[in-house]
Amino acid sequence: MNRRIWAFLVPILSVVFALIVAAVIIVLIGQNPLVAYKAMVLGAFGNVQAFTDTIIKTTPLILTGLAVGFGFRAGLFNIGAEGQMIMGGILATVVGMNLRGIPPALAVPLTMLFGILGGMAWASIAGYLKAKTGAHEVVTTIMLNWIASHLSSYLITGPLAVGSGTPKSPEIAPSAKLPPILTVGAMELTSGIVISVLSAFLMYILLEKTTTGYEVKAVGFNPYAAEYGGISISKNIVMCMAISGALAGLAGALEVMGQYHRFLGTLSGGKGFDGISIALIGQNHPIGIIFAALLIAALRTGSNNMQFVGVPKHIVTIVQGIVIFLVAADRIVRTIVIRKKVKR
Amino acid sequence: MRRLSIALVLLVSVLLMGFKVVMVTDVGGLGDKSFNDGTWAGIQRAVKELNIEAKVIQSYEQSDYIPNLSKAAEEADLVFAVGFMMTDALFRVARQYPKTLFVGIDITPPKGQTFPNVLTFTFKEQECAFLVGYLAAAMTKTGTVGFVGGIPIPPVERFRYGFEAGVKTYNTLYRKNVKVLRGYTQDFEDPKKGKDLAMSQFNQGADIVFHASGACGNGVIEAARERFSALTKSSNLVDFINYYLENNRGFFAIGVDMDQDYMAPGAVLASAMKRVDTASYLAVTWAYEGTFKGGHMVLGIAEAGVGISPMKYTKGIVPNRVIAELVYLEKLMKEGTLKVPETQEELDAFKVPTIRFPF
Repeated sequence: MNRRIWAFLVPILSVVFALIVAAVIIVLIGQNPLVAYKAMVLGAFGNVQAFTDTIIKTTPLILTGLAVGFGFRAGLFNIGAEGQMIMGGILATVVGMNLRGIPPALAVPLTMLFGILGGMAWASIAGYLKAKTGAHEVVTTIMLNWIASHLSSYLITGPLAVGSGTPKSPEIAPSAKLPPILTVGAMELTSGIVISVLSAFLMYILLEKTTTGYEVKAVGFNPYAAEYGGISISKNIVMCMAISGALAGLAGALEVMGQYHRFLGTLSGGKGFDGISIALIGQNHPIGIIFAALLIAALRTGSNNMQFVGVPKHIVTIVQGIVIFLVAADRIVRTIVIRKKVKR
Repeated sequence: MRRLSIALVLLVSVLLMGFKVVMVTDVGGLGDKSFNDGTWAGIQRAVKELNIEAKVIQSYEQSDYIPNLSKAAEEADLVFAVGFMMTDALFRVARQYPKTLFVGIDITPPKGQTFPNVLTFTFKEQECAFLVGYLAAAMTKTGTVGFVGGIPIPPVERFRYGFEAGVKTYNTLYRKNVKVLRGYTQDFEDPKKGKDLAMSQFNQGADIVFHASGACGNGVIEAARERFSALTKSSNLVDFINYYLENNRGFFAIGVDMDQDYMAPGAVLASAMKRVDTASYLAVTWAYEGTFKGGHMVLGIAEAGVGISPMKYTKGIVPNRVIAELVYLEKLMKEGTLKVPETQEELDAFKVPTIRFPF
């Protein structure tokens, strides 16, 4: 119970502390922090438009957060969510483009499935390399990120390029688009958010209520003990990377199907890397990750509005940095405490 | 009495609500020392002259464009969307806010569509890039020059077409074989990516690298400064010039968009300037005076929309003959006798015209 309270308390206190530090910085640059924070809150939740924007941004962040968080639970540091998201987006686009005339009931799940497969396949490469050769996933996933990034740039400025404006692929078929829940001005809130929240619950069930989840966690805690207990490490590594990649791939697919309806050059925009901070803030817990993603998204949308009262957007980067530092530092502190106890 | 107070409040609020300009940057943001900064400089100039209000809103990511433009459209009379990457977002938002005026920098309207409230500007980047390409080919000592692009979008590519055509022209006229290395950072934000790429081109034998990569270019210039000062053991302008004159070699970057020569005096050979500031200044003035007209404008050398920087620091090391040739080439472009390729096809088919310098 105590641990559970900590898990809640640490991120919340970190956010409060980070906002206080940022307030000092805002004062130092000659602005009023109360005005700034009011603008930030209003910018994130002040009206339907703001709220829509926040939820749109939350949708992919939940999934990339889950992708990284799931890896962490299995003891894997998947830095490749960015690349997996790109591959998911590309595959979903290529499939979605070719589904003209197929009813939505079939086209939507099919496009989504290929998005998931894209991310899954990409992450499995790193998983396989780790299981077979011991190549560290941090190195391989970073390399795979670059390959995915350059591959996508090539595709949308070459074979898939269409029209003028931002480098982009053709639109996916109308039947493969996710239906919007709400249309506000030039923005559309799509049903993608339902899918990402649902994914969080699925991950919760998988981790907490199934044997597979138990094995994943066992390998994460202590791989050798798990192997001694009859769990195959290499099988688990490949599987965990695949699931992690599937979640990131789904993030890419939802951005394509719900948001842009095509693949754009900067579709991923660092969201895969944001997943790392979100997983940390959310303490690798699926439900925690939902709130962490909402927090980061709200900070981002809020910061855009904050600029209207003269506070630069970078303040939010500072807030984010401090939160992550504190959440990570908490672990350092805990580790030190535990070690001291063991020595005695 | 009550009516009077309402009227007063209305009057005051009308007076307070002066003409307002909001500029929305792309993800490169202010501080790119490139087109975002340039557009902002033009707006600032207009702000001072007309005594109006202007704000800048920076975008983090692609998904910020629409919300930021929408918010700006609600607040301002005139909204700037800066950068090619904002094309789609601009037209989606402009349709929703027909009463607000919009200006797009580096943006071409979608085919066959015109909006009365949107004025867009593009530039003949290839023309100024041609001049720096010619200059680079004339100045290289290693026979290799480099090009660092951001994301290969049309404005970046036009810089490359012009640059390569300029090199080719020099090669043909002087029977030389200067090679061009090409690379893209796939980014407009991270100076480190620009620096890495420039360093690798220097390692491959280039001694002059031209960049068209937004804020990545700060790293390209940094790379040139670092390599050059490794030779001279100093980063003073005087030492750079002296070293170059004594040893006849050095490392240079070529800047883009704004006059970037000042960023590393002596290590930036020249800059291919795109006068986004002129465009933004004019657009604000027109909107303020009520002469704003929707449409599309292309600014080239003839319109003073692009050009080569005055080479404040490096002019001394460029042979007089090359300077004179550049001026003559510029004149040919203005007259329309020298047409610089604007597309890959035109570049492939580009035949160097017979140019006879009158000196």
